[in-house]
Amino acid sequence: MALLSRQPWLVATGLLVPLLTLASPGWLKLAGVPPAWAVLWLLPWALSAGKRAGSGAGLGLGLLLDGIHPGPASLVPGLVLLGWWWGRMGRKAPLIQRSFSLGLLALLGTALLNLSLMLQWALLSWREAAAVLGGVERLAGGAEALRQAGPQAALLALPLWRWQDLSTVGLQVLLAQTLLTALLAPMLCSLQLLFWRQLAAGWRGSAV
Amino acid sequence: MAPVRLPRVGVLLPLLRLWPWVLVLLALVAVRLSKGAPFSDAYGLLSRPFWPGSAQQEWLSAAGRLGDQARLEQLERENRRLRGLLDLPAAQGRRLQAAVISREPGGWWQQLLLGKGSLQGVGEGDAVVAPGGLIGLVASTTPTTSTVRLLSDPRSRVGVWVGRSRHHGLLSGLGTGRPLLRFLEKDPDVRPGDVIFTSPASTLVPPNLPVGVIQRIDADADPAPEALVQLSAPADAVDWVQVLLP
Repeated sequence: MALLSRQPWLVATGLLVPLLTLASPGWLKLAGVPPAWAVLWLLPWALSAGKRAGSGAGLGLGLLLDGIHPGPASLVPGLVLLGWWWGRMGRKAPLIQRSFSLGLLALLGTALLNLSLMLQWALLSWREAAAVLGGVERLAGGAEALRQAGPQAALLALPLWRWQDLSTVGLQVLLAQTLLTALLAPMLCSLQLLFWRQLAAGWRGSAV
Repeated sequence: MAPVRLPRVGVLLPLLRLWPWVLVLLALVAVRLSKGAPFSDAYGLLSRPFWPGSAQQEWLSAAGRLGDQARLEQLERENRRLRGLLDLPAAQGRRLQAAVISREPGGWWQQLLLGKGSLQGVGEGDAVVAPGGLIGLVASTTPTTSTVRLLSDPRSRVGVWVGRSRHHGLLSGLGTGRPLLRFLEKDPDVRPGDVIFTSPASTLVPPNLPVGVIQRIDADADPAPEALVQLSAPADAVDWVQVLLP
């Protein structure tokens, strides 16, 4: 029931996340990378609402954000996992209300979210490359020259993150976003946590 | 032997009186030999306040730009006519101006969001140009917006060629501001400073749109040389772009 009472606020604030992602100002970026607004919103919500509500919100938010980022990689697995994990941690509220703890959780969460994306890109790249190589192998038959000449251009043309790019630029994106989100989390997440808890307390008070 | 007689002082006196004129004569000879340099310099110094100002320079530049524009239009018309004669696809159709309403030049998705969508005729795969050249292709559309995948996105692949040597290659985003050009030949005959354009052989983008300038070449890359390209259109600063409608 507490969840139901918070629904309008949940929806209203949740819709702000994709809007903030689109309108992220240039001065709030590190090396051109914006903070993970989804993490900054999901962390306090999941801590106050529990693991089911947390993972549900992660699913909804992931679907919203996937809509504005066309492509095969998805934020859903990472956000669902984070919502569930932080929801479980919510029981130990006094320990994680401290700013440092919120910053640390946001840091770990952003790193996990980025790692989930890297893993997806790596798997997609591996699968597509295997498909291309298999196709070339079939076309080449037993001709060694064809097998040697074929794969390179086809592999280069695959429109995916390559492993070399992931290990260099991907790592930079991960570090920049993790650092920036962890710096913002103590300020933004503690305010939201207070808001969600006051809302829950108000509902309980009115129910009594 | 009769002693040598020196001229009398009375004869030399007129010559001594002429020395200022001799000096003037020497000065004139110097001016002649220096091709009037002191006069030109003095004139330049004195007339500096009256030199043509920046406004006149602007007029001249504007006139030059107008001339270039007219010449460009003429060349494009001629190009269209010749492509028509050869039954090649049209270089470009209508251009649609669109405002950039959101930009993500860094991160996992390097894209722009434009304020024009399928209702205005924008479709997936349409080329998007900014002042300077091509910046990306439309990746998806909604009725009123469209998402442009930038050339710097690691998922971007565009066929290009080098304007000078006419060697083809594949431009791949690296996630940084400078994409990588992978050549399809062992000896592409390129050097830093060469301008690259979209390939006329490409079926994805209109031909001969400027893309960028080659900055650094790795001739030893395997299987073919590679080059880093500085894009000519600044995707992280542009506010308005043009979508090339087919």
